[in-house]
Amino acid sequence: MEVIPACFCRFQKDIKTVLNPMNAIEVSGLKKHYPIVKSYKELFLHPFRRNAVTALNGVDLKVKEEICFCLLGPNGAGKTTLIKILSTLVLPDDGKATVCGHDVEKEPWLVKSVIGTALNDERSFYWRLTGQQNLEFFAALNGISKSRIKRRIREVLDLTGLSDVAENRFNTYSTGMKQMLALSRALLIDVKVLFVDEPTRSLDPKASQRMRRFLREELVEKQKRTVFWATHDLNEARDFAHELGIIDGGKIRTAGSVDKITENGNKSLQKVFEDSVVDHDHQDTRMEEQK
Amino acid sequence: MIFQKLYAFLRRDFFEKSSYKFNFISSVAGIFISTATFFFIAKLIPGENISSLVPYGGGYFSFVIIGIAFSGILGMFQEGLPDIIRNAQMTGTLEAILVTRTSISTVLIGSSFFNFLMSFIRTIFHLGIAIFVFGMTLGNIHWIGAIIVFVLTVMCFLSIGILSTSFILVYKLGNPFSWIFGGLSGLFGGIFFPIEVLPGWLKWISYLLPITHSLRGLRLSLLSSVSFSQIMPSIIVLACFSLVLLPLSFVVFRVSILKAKKDGTLTHY
Repeated sequence: MEVIPACFCRFQKDIKTVLNPMNAIEVSGLKKHYPIVKSYKELFLHPFRRNAVTALNGVDLKVKEEICFCLLGPNGAGKTTLIKILSTLVLPDDGKATVCGHDVEKEPWLVKSVIGTALNDERSFYWRLTGQQNLEFFAALNGISKSRIKRRIREVLDLTGLSDVAENRFNTYSTGMKQMLALSRALLIDVKVLFVDEPTRSLDPKASQRMRRFLREELVEKQKRTVFWATHDLNEARDFAHELGIIDGGKIRTAGSVDKITENGNKSLQKVFEDSVVDHDHQDTRMEEQK
Repeated sequence: MIFQKLYAFLRRDFFEKSSYKFNFISSVAGIFISTATFFFIAKLIPGENISSLVPYGGGYFSFVIIGIAFSGILGMFQEGLPDIIRNAQMTGTLEAILVTRTSISTVLIGSSFFNFLMSFIRTIFHLGIAIFVFGMTLGNIHWIGAIIVFVLTVMCFLSIGILSTSFILVYKLGNPFSWIFGGLSGLFGGIFFPIEVLPGWLKWISYLLPITHSLRGLRLSLLSSVSFSQIMPSIIVLACFSLVLLPLSFVVFRVSILKAKKDGTLTHY
C-alpha cells in the first residue's frame, strides 16, 4: 500500500525539479549563536547568565547549481560557521538550510551523500600514513565498495596530479600537495557540491593559481559541480567566481553575479566590499542573554 | 558495509601504530617486568593459608595476574576510548570523519576496535608469560562461563567508555567517570587483593563496581574448577549492569553529540 504514494511522491519531486530547477544551496533566516565560556569571576557573580556571540544573524542565500560561488568576508564574518552548518557539523539555532534539496538539520545523511568538504586541510589527515592509505580509509568511511576503492583513488589522484606521490607519507607533502590531497578526498564520492574554506590560504602564488583554476575550470566547468568557496581574497573572488556573496556580522550584505554587484564594472569590488562591511557595526556582535 | 568500515579503522590504526617501531618491544618488556614483579611478591605470600584466596585456587600469583591482565581491558575502554576521540579532536581528523557517510556509533566502535584487540592480545600474552615462563597453574577451565563473563565484562566496560567519551565531547577534560570507575576499581575492584579483606562497609563500594563481578567470575571460571551455578551470580550481576549501562550510555552519547553540535564545539578541544 505504501509503494504507490512513495513512487508518486518521487515522480512529483522529479517533475518539480525539471520544471523548476533546484538551487544547489538554499538558506533562509539562518541564525547561530555560540555560547561563551565564562571566567571564574563571572561564573561566581552571575551563575545563570548566558553569554553568547552571534556568528550568523539571519542569513538568506541562494546558490545556483554548477557555478563557482565565492563567499567573501573579513575574519569572523561567519563564513566558516555557514560552511559547517551546511556540512552538518554544526546545528543552527534558527532558520532553514538545504543542500540539493536536503535539509541539513533533518536529513544530514542525505546531505552527506552529495557534498564534499575541504575545510581543515593539513590537520585532518593521518601524518604517518601515506596519501594512498589516507584516501583508502576515507573512501571506506564514505561507503565506496572495496572493489571500487583503488580505481576511484587512482582517478582522483590523476585528476589532482598526486599519483606520483601517492605512496609517500603525508608528513613529507608540501602545503600545496596537502591541499590537493584534501580536494582528492572530497572528490572520492560523486559530490554535487564542494565546500572549500580558504583553500589558497598558505599557498605560494603559483600553487594558488593552480588551485583556483582546478576549482573553476576542472570541477565547475568540466565536471559540472557546484563549488562553494569561502575566502577573504577580493582578487580571487573577482577572477574566479561566477557569483559571489559578501558576508559580515553574520549577515549576507550583498549577493549576485560579479557584474551585478560591481554594476557592470562601474564600481570596483574593493569599493563594494568596503561599503558592505563598514556600513554597520560588526565589532559589537556580542549578545548577552539573561536568564 | 559496516564490516568494511570497521576493517578500515583497524587497518588505519595498524599502519599508524606499527609505524612506531619501538613501541611494541617496550610494551612486551613492560608486561614481562610486571609479571616477574608479582611472581616474586607472590613468593612472600603463601596463598594456601589465606582463606580469602581459597575460592580462587589458593595462589596469590594466579589471583593477581588475572586481576592485572583483565583490568587492562577496562583501562582501554575507560581511558583509551575518550583519549582516541580527544586525540581526533586535537589532530582535526574527527571533523573529516564526521562529514563522511559513517554513523557516529560506528566511528566510536571502529575507533576502539584496534585498541580492544590489542588489549585482548596483551591479556592473553600476560597470561601466556605467567603460565609458560613463571609456571602459573589454571584449574579446570569452565570455558562457557569464562566466555559469558568476558562478553558481559566487555559490554559493561564499553558502556563506561562511551559515558567517558560523552563527557569528553562536551566538556573536553576532567572526566569524572575516569576516577569514579578507574580510581575506585583499582582500590575496591579486587584487582590486587580479594575484596573479602575489606571492612564490611567498604565491601559495598566493591559490589557497586562491575569489575568486582567480572574478576570474580573470571577467576572462578579460570582458576577454581567450579560448576556453572557458582559462576551464575557474577553473570547475573554483570547482565544487570549491562542492561542498565549500555542503553544509558548510548542515550547519553546521543545527547552529548547534539549538545556539542548545538554549541558548535564538536571538533573543539
